[in-house]
Amino acid sequence: MKHHYWEAPIVIYLFLGGLGGGIFFLASVFDLIVAPGAGPLFFAPVFFALAALALGCFFLVFELGQPPVFWRVFTTKTAIIKWGAVLLTVAMICGFVWWASYLPLLGWQWAAGLAGLLAPVRSLMIGLAGVAGFGIMVYTGVMLSTLKAHAFWATPALPVLFTVSALSTACAAIALSLGGAVDAAGLGLLVEELIREIVHEVDIVLVIAEIVVLLVMVLSFYGAGNVTAQKVAARWVRGRTAPLFWGGMVGGGLLLPLALYLAGAGTAASEVVAPILVLCGGLLLRYLCVYSDERAPIPGEERYYERLKSSDTRFMTAWKQGENKY
Amino acid sequence: MTRYVMVVDQSRCIGCQSCTVACRTWNDLPLDIIYNPVVSEGTKGTFPEVYRTWTPTQCMHCANPECVPCCPTGASQQDDDGTVWVDYAKCMGCKVCVNACPYGMRDVSHVVPRFDQYVRKCTFCRDRRAADPAAEPYCVATCHQRARVFGDIDDPNSEVSKLINTTHTERLFTELGTDPQIYYIPEMGGGAR
Ligand code: SF4
Ligand code: SF4
Ligand code: SF4
Repeated sequence: MKHHYWEAPIVIYLFLGGLGGGIFFLASVFDLIVAPGAGPLFFAPVFFALAALALGCFFLVFELGQPPVFWRVFTTKTAIIKWGAVLLTVAMICGFVWWASYLPLLGWQWAAGLAGLLAPVRSLMIGLAGVAGFGIMVYTGVMLSTLKAHAFWATPALPVLFTVSALSTACAAIALSLGGAVDAAGLGLLVEELIREIVHEVDIVLVIAEIVVLLVMVLSFYGAGNVTAQKVAARWVRGRTAPLFWGGMVGGGLLLPLALYLAGAGTAASEVVAPILVLCGGLLLRYLCVYSDERAPIPGEERYYERLKSSDTRFMTAWKQGENKY
Repeated sequence: MTRYVMVVDQSRCIGCQSCTVACRTWNDLPLDIIYNPVVSEGTKGTFPEVYRTWTPTQCMHCANPECVPCCPTGASQQDDDGTVWVDYAKCMGCKVCVNACPYGMRDVSHVVPRFDQYVRKCTFCRDRRAADPAAEPYCVATCHQRARVFGDIDDPNSEVSKLINTTHTERLFTELGTDPQIYYIPEMGGGAR
């Protein structure tokens, strides 16, 4: 039966968290390993990562029942959400320090002193943000998959899927924003082109991997999942959610961008349209998963809660908003 | 040690929902929250051999609860006597525990003010027992059929121990490893016993 408590803000949070974490991870890999010195090119992508995480946290806190108590997540030891909160905080602080050290790129001379001060810790900061970013990507999936009351979430495939999708959306965001705010010329331009090419190739691999993991997960639930998971998978494969799953997620979010990446290389279709589709696909994936929160009913439970038809709006309105509120 | 459990005798329950009403009253619950619905799969069998059974539910006060370790604020906790409860002041309303409970026994009211929404659940009437150690949970005290029996399973002379040791009891979703502590004496097809 439906056991629905998390709404759209959580969907957006999981998407933005994965996206921001992925950008930090990739930015650190490029800046520290693949193309040392390419930092300025990632000024804009890292800005978007910071914005994504900040916005994600806003949605998360907004969705809480008692937002003023949110600081308590830092008081427990083991809860997985606590680790998510710690990783988000580390990523945002380190990412921000790294980003602030490049502020003069915007032509803000007043920031030169600050930038000079922060420059020596750049590598450390992007390294920490990258590690935390990787943790965030994995955490968004692990968090759902530990909630085994929801059979469709309780699979190790889910964290894999979320991580691959997070990396893929991060590639897309980098493709769209790489080199923003800098006027690369000469060697810089060459490095930018090189990174763009790598990100392009990597995203092709990631999109293919995502298609495989997604289909393996959904179809194995469809074929052999427990009753609850099987019902959800059936809804995805041939039920109410099928148009959104096959048309939106698999078609529009994965196959179409893959085709554009492969066929349209070098054109706007591959460099602008495909990444945007990948981003939309990532959001849709989180939406489909969060809204697949069915749980096995206690015998008779469905019948109990269905006695009051939600279509009985007159009664429901009077019940919820009438004088007899409590 | 004390370990509180409940035995629910389905052959005694007549589905009157008195316990549901009692719980709502004792806990002063908002209208959209029910801690202990009494559910039924409806009429079974073929005429004239028809029968109907009832399953009074509530939080299973699991020995290995899903809802406690996942709580990021420490609001969701378990007493040494097994009682699982929520400290409302500490709960930030993230609803992780609501999503974690396989029995659907936690809920958030939507008819209370927007930023005052914490998670509620059955507390085995922790407050009532604290005020009067001899008191039974209100749903137990209310049940005129004695279908709900509350007590200490670690005390061999308690009624719950005797029932569990001498009668066939069943628990819900044991395959999930939660080790639920509500023991059902199932009704055998509605026959009088
Ligand atoms: S029934 Fe649910 S709320 Fe109660 S202890 Fe078990 S997991 Fe927690
Ligand atoms: S909703 Fe409250 S009790 Fe439940 S996990 Fe979140 S903070 Fe803990
Ligand atoms: S033990 Fe108390 S809180 Fe729990 S269902 Fe019974 S009356 Fe309600």
